[in-house]
Amino acid sequence: MAKITPNEIKILSKYIYDISGIALDQSKTYLFETRFGKLIEAEGLANYSELYSKAKSEPRKTLEKKIIDAITTNETLFFRDTGPFELLRHKILPEVIDAGTAKSSKLLPTAIKIWSSACSTGQELFSIAIIIKELLGDLKKYNIKLLGTDISDAAIAQASYGAYNKFEIERGLARDKLQKYFTLTNGNWKIRDEIRAMVNFKKLNLMLPFGALGKFDIIFCRNVAIYFNLNDRKKLFNKLADSLAPNGFLIIGSTESLTGVCPRFVPKRHLKSIFYQVR
Amino acid sequence: MGSLKILAVDDDPVTRMLIKKKLIKEDYEIEIAENGVKAIELINNTFFDVVLTDLMMPGGVDGIGVLEAVKKKNSQTEVILITGFASVENAIEAMKKGAADYLQKPINFDELFLRLQKIENLIKLAKNAGDLREAMSVTEDNAGHTIQNLELKVGELQNQLYEIEDILLKYDLDPQDRIESALKTIGA
Ligand SMILES: C[S@@+](CC[C@H](N)C(=O)[O-])C[C@H]1O[C@@H](n2cnc3c(N)ncnc32)[C@H](O)[C@@H]1O
Repeated sequence: MAKITPNEIKILSKYIYDISGIALDQSKTYLFETRFGKLIEAEGLANYSELYSKAKSEPRKTLEKKIIDAITTNETLFFRDTGPFELLRHKILPEVIDAGTAKSSKLLPTAIKIWSSACSTGQELFSIAIIIKELLGDLKKYNIKLLGTDISDAAIAQASYGAYNKFEIERGLARDKLQKYFTLTNGNWKIRDEIRAMVNFKKLNLMLPFGALGKFDIIFCRNVAIYFNLNDRKKLFNKLADSLAPNGFLIIGSTESLTGVCPRFVPKRHLKSIFYQVR
Repeated sequence: MGSLKILAVDDDPVTRMLIKKKLIKEDYEIEIAENGVKAIELINNTFFDVVLTDLMMPGGVDGIGVLEAVKKKNSQTEVILITGFASVENAIEAMKKGAADYLQKPINFDELFLRLQKIENLIKLAKNAGDLREAMSVTEDNAGHTIQNLELKVGELQNQLYEIEDILLKYDLDPQDRIESALKTIGA
């Protein structure tokens, strides 16, 4: 396997930062080699400089996509950290629905918009969908929009397909939910249509403007900002604050903090969990 | 060298005994069942790492039945099917239902041991990954508590600062009064 030179690390890090905002630790030589070694061989390239030039020069960005798939950490699981999902079930959804019902006319179904903004392979959004299904039952009375976005094409493709292997599925998912919401097809567990039909996935880079998505009642932005530098985090959470509907809720990862990042957000506690609202 | 607990299911007594002998020789822990019904009884009572089952068996529960019962009980158990030459397609169907592998009769034991070795490696990997995950989850939980508490504390302090700022900016009031009421907000 080709060794990466310090100069190549510099060039590649800058390139990855430009296309994804991901700030890589340049001392982690092994990270570059384990993540790109295979790609270089598969593409028939000699070294990391060639990887960079080829990716830069391709108009259709096929290689750029593969680089993003390789460098992103898609680690996720169903009902990750449990706290946020209990929060959703017992506090946030009831409040959003009450407010929405009060606002909407009797004729229109209550609108609720939720965004999983770095959804990886979809577990986070499907967990949200399952909670909503369990809490609301008949969804006809509501106009629910669940959106999952991620920068990785491969992650979005898997999320859209909604199938998980046995290692992915066993994580975080209780056996009764597995039986109820998934079917075993071709050795993988596939989300049932009733849940799949509740959600939408698309590719989106959080470094770019996303105001066109409109306002959301609830935004999950968990375990993605950790890969960005402070300045980009500030910009990101500022944009997220703009994307929240009045009294909207933001949920971040359990070990993340907005202190020194975005003073517009106030942390609030409900039981054992924290959520944020715009001041 | 084997450390797997294995259940072998076959209606043919000769095959059963042969499998048992060979696997014991390789140090695997082995139990046998003579049909699907007996196999399911055993499966429901103890955990097996691997179930090795004949695909076609008389008595109502065939290899697929055993496979389904195994997957229902515990998806961590791996199933290897043993098939006659004619039933390869059924075996492939079974793989779609979650079987790990299939072998054709007559059993080539070297091949079986290779498959078992592969499963053993996978189990080890899965355990490592599980351990790592558990360690990460404990660390994350701990860090999460600390960070969230700090986050709330900072939020509180920030609010106090805003309040103090508001008070101090009330230029129409006497400076001394402003200072005093500002101090009051922090309980001084
Ligand atoms: C560790 S996963 C988090 C998944 C899920 N939110 C969770 O907490 O379980 C991080 C995800 O962020 C995505 N990501 C990284 N940079 C991104 C960017 N600039 N825009 C959108 N998504 C990005 C990665 O592709 C990856 O799937």
